[in-house]
Amino acid sequence: MPKKKPASQADNKRTILVCHGTGCVSGKAFEIREALEKEVAGLGLDGVGVDFTGCHGFCQQGPIAVVEPEGIFYTHVTVEDVPEIAQSHLRDGKPVARLFYHDPVSGEAIPKYKDIPFYNKQQRIILRNCGRINPERIEDYIKAGGYESLRKVLGEMTPEQVIDEVKRSGLRGRGGAGFSTGQKWEFCFRAPGDQKYMICNADEGDPGAFMDRSTMEGDPHTVIEGMTIAAYAIGASEGYIYIRAEYPLAVKRVILALKQAEGKGFLGENILGSGFNFRIHVKEGAGAFVCGEETALMASIEGKRGMPRPRPPFPAQAGLWGKPSNINNVKSLATVPVIIANGAEWYSQIGTEKSKGTAVFALTGKIANSGLVEVPMGYPLQEIIYGIGGGIPGGKKFKAVQTGGPSGGCLPASLINQPVDYETLAQAGSIMGSGGMVVMDEDTCMVDVARYFLSFTQDESCGKCVPCRLGTKQMLDILNDITHGRGKLEDIDLLLKLSEQIKAGSLCGLGQTAPNPVITTIRYFRDEYEEHIKKHHCRAAVCEGLVSAPCSHTCPANIDVPRYIRFIGEGKPAEAVAVIREKIPFPSVCGLVCFHPCESKCRRGQLEEAIAIRMLKGYAARHDTGLWKENLKKAPPATGKRVAIVGAGPAGLTAGYYLARLGHSVIVFEALPEPGGMMRVGIPDYRLPKDILRAEIKEIEDAGVEIRTNTRVDSLDELFKEGYNAVFLATGAHQGMKIGVKGESGSGVMDCAEFLREVSLGRKVEVGDKVAVIGGGNAAIDAARTALRLGAKEVTIVYRRTQAEMPANPEEVEEAIAEGASIDYLVAPSRIKGRNGMVDLETIRMELGEMDSSGRRRPEPIEGSQFTTGYNTIIAAIGQRPEVPERFNISLGRGNIIEVDPDTLATSREGVYAGGDAASGPASVIEAIAAGRQAAISIDKYLGGKGEIDETLALPEGELAPLEEAEEQWRPKMPTVPVEKRLSNFGQVELGYDDKAAIEEAKRCLRCDLEERE
Amino acid sequence: MPAEPDVTRELAEILSRYSGASSDLIPILQEAQGKFGYLPEEVMQRVAKFLRLTDNMVYGVSTFYAQFSFVPTGRNKITVCRGTACHVRGGARILREIERRLGIKPGESTEDMEYSLETVACIGACALAPTMRVGNETYGQMTTKKVAEVFGAKEKAS
Repeated sequence: MPKKKPASQADNKRTILVCHGTGCVSGKAFEIREALEKEVAGLGLDGVGVDFTGCHGFCQQGPIAVVEPEGIFYTHVTVEDVPEIAQSHLRDGKPVARLFYHDPVSGEAIPKYKDIPFYNKQQRIILRNCGRINPERIEDYIKAGGYESLRKVLGEMTPEQVIDEVKRSGLRGRGGAGFSTGQKWEFCFRAPGDQKYMICNADEGDPGAFMDRSTMEGDPHTVIEGMTIAAYAIGASEGYIYIRAEYPLAVKRVILALKQAEGKGFLGENILGSGFNFRIHVKEGAGAFVCGEETALMASIEGKRGMPRPRPPFPAQAGLWGKPSNINNVKSLATVPVIIANGAEWYSQIGTEKSKGTAVFALTGKIANSGLVEVPMGYPLQEIIYGIGGGIPGGKKFKAVQTGGPSGGCLPASLINQPVDYETLAQAGSIMGSGGMVVMDEDTCMVDVARYFLSFTQDESCGKCVPCRLGTKQMLDILNDITHGRGKLEDIDLLLKLSEQIKAGSLCGLGQTAPNPVITTIRYFRDEYEEHIKKHHCRAAVCEGLVSAPCSHTCPANIDVPRYIRFIGEGKPAEAVAVIREKIPFPSVCGLVCFHPCESKCRRGQLEEAIAIRMLKGYAARHDTGLWKENLKKAPPATGKRVAIVGAGPAGLTAGYYLARLGHSVIVFEALPEPGGMMRVGIPDYRLPKDILRAEIKEIEDAGVEIRTNTRVDSLDELFKEGYNAVFLATGAHQGMKIGVKGESGSGVMDCAEFLREVSLGRKVEVGDKVAVIGGGNAAIDAARTALRLGAKEVTIVYRRTQAEMPANPEEVEEAIAEGASIDYLVAPSRIKGRNGMVDLETIRMELGEMDSSGRRRPEPIEGSQFTTGYNTIIAAIGQRPEVPERFNISLGRGNIIEVDPDTLATSREGVYAGGDAASGPASVIEAIAAGRQAAISIDKYLGGKGEIDETLALPEGELAPLEEAEEQWRPKMPTVPVEKRLSNFGQVELGYDDKAAIEEAKRCLRCDLEERE
Repeated sequence: MPAEPDVTRELAEILSRYSGASSDLIPILQEAQGKFGYLPEEVMQRVAKFLRLTDNMVYGVSTFYAQFSFVPTGRNKITVCRGTACHVRGGARILREIERRLGIKPGESTEDMEYSLETVACIGACALAPTMRVGNETYGQMTTKKVAEVFGAKEKAS
């Protein structure tokens, strides 16, 4: 059937424009358009057009289709949607709501293109036509004002005037180096020569960059027009567009556009009757990143190996075949027609003092809205990532943003408050480059990122310069060593030294910038390097050379998770408990209250959801038969050494347990009447019943640990005088922090830690009917749910940030809300005043401002938004600090924590160690247990032992049942006590999985620890 | 292993469209790569003669660029992207899954010459990371599950 020439949009009542960029084409955009054409014809819809455009730059939402003139923006269109679109919208005028764009953060549907923040916050100059015109139809370009600038230049301006205009506009090369475009043209213009060449660098090789591709696919004519204007300015009669072969669609569109331009007289001989001749040829790159470098690119056009050569002579004097040549990037050329049309003054008013105009960034990686973002230079980086990009998906924390491709650097959270331009990025140690911007979150390993970039540049090094060729290889080898557990601490400085040498000794930009990712990651993420080297730990759980299974790697105590889950799946929970007890003495406690960092890295979480590792732990613990004791080694003979442990919390008791098992005499001193620390007096009974905790503490006592309650320790000197050989301080952090507002010391205001402690110890606490809890951590949630059980009718949690930033476990927050608590977000206390037995809480509304170094946006008060609510009780749950008697005479750090060696937990005093909340600030039970383990190792070594605390308690695994193919399967729901039955008591809420649910859930595990490795 | 292609006739057709300027070396090799799926030694020798270059020079240029292959490639070329965005979104797993499924590593082809596997630094569809190409089709937002779907479907079709 002959193709009908599509009527233009102006003639039609409605036109549907299907995106035909590479991304959408991969989603079957061609088939969608064909189906639409058939459907529209079949329905006999008059005045309805079907057309296509180039890349919108929002590929993640593709396939995209826009209906004009309404400007309705459809996303994720499939061929199956075509009949509905045609009938409901094109024929009946009713848009198809389920295909609207949905804001990835709020979920709100936004039907129109112009209302979508991703687009309306941009200033699209370079990308002005992309997604709006048909790139295979020159008439569309002309109608949008195309080739008018060329007409103006050839008709009214001399080459000098053109150069002057571009110079005054301040346009700087968008390929990355940022040199003044006008200045570069002038050099070539002034160079003597009978033949000059104009070259467009479309070899976009930076991984993560695709803006040049989009421009060429979506608006090839703007590049051609810009190139022709440039050729006129410098006096070139021949031009080359060098496109990488990996962009076949762009090649096709450019070749077609050239033919059409020639057809209309915009290229070729005597263009527009001006006497100026210019012809453009297309050359395809053949897969060499280094050919993005201008001298290598020219060598490639000449048919040679793409190896750079020294400059001078610069291409402007001697370039292609030794003739004066000028090379510009696609985006620089796409800007030229707009500068000519609107003038240098107009352009120079956009951007910053030294960086004029707009820049196109390819925002990719861990970001909700991934795509091309064009904004004025000087736009705040934080706004690009959060305002336009929509922030980090999946509730993950922002970690770094990598700019400038393999030549650039990684910027941490603390630096993203800056405006983005050439200078600010350079100052931070990165570069603008071609505009690639890859966002990374907590699941990205920065050492792996450095290794990744080095492997890329190493591969692409042309080999000419020894420092680049061999230097990058050496750096890569070192990084491979570090990521595989073979690194040494000296390697970090060696990497920096090599970086300097490679930069100094390389001829071209590839070698000169290849070390940048390494330099910036060491500068801003040195501790990750050190962790890899010293502790063989990859906190992102990425480096396969170090990580067997991400869950056990991330567990602070390194519990062998996959193994115990397999035992559960085989119906052997007692064996599972034995595996757990190989690493921790609190399986029930952790099975009920651990904040499960393991689950945040569980690979199953990338499919449907993470394995319920904590709940399975709890299940196993409930079905313990004591099997683990059968394999316990007999305790060795008494060593005669005595260890004093101050604090019977998870850190203290864990340390005591392991030290007693090694034969030392251990006494644990506990100031409170009951042992358990925060497990006993911080975590309420409905989460962790007392008898379960007591049973686990009894096992520790049975191992030889003596606990003396109601005994406060004031002096370390006394302990040593009494003959103890070593001391472990595990006193926790129980002192509530002040809110910091007037009136908080009055009656009616309680400290959260004290409140929870009093309730857990069985003392009577009255809270009244209306309670406010100030804070957003687990303690605040515990206080709220406790207050409800004490009879409060209205409990409000007041938190200064948003839900996404609340540190409390989301599960806990959910339960609190289910039980009737309400949460006021973005509200902070400003004043407290007693009034007739009640207490008035004055609060002020907050809004999120700039990012602080923790990677969270700082809340700022909104002037004049104060409001007051009366309560019976206000509970302050801001946080806790450790309390350390001055007589201890040990060094303290910020927040009153005990300063310790991060590896050994040794304090500033010989023989005294510290761990848990007392040394870290408020953290978690499992981290305290891990500290207890480390303390036992360090103290045993200090006392002359080997510090070997681990023993095998479970039998070796037999033959494993094969893993079933991963069908889509979610966690079984955890049975809980119905809400109506909860609030009259403190009974356990989470009832635990039954056998069937537990075995089913265990079988979802992907057994990452058994994965084949090289 | 397929029989050596009829180099003479097919190559002559390609060369007929070029003037013999040495700067045409790369476009000629690109066409030959497209036609034969790789660069047989005989092709390189004939091209050298045509352009009045030494075999050495042609070999030097063709080995510089990643686009050229010197062993026959499969009917379907699989290109897995190892660009930054794809890497950060788990591209390495996709590559490993394909390696496991087909039993080949990058640079190799399957026994039946149905597939050959290679990686590329960036396909340019970064917003759809992780991506791969099979023949002329681009696949975005890849998961290990989708690998099974793509190759399962192809197996059914063949």
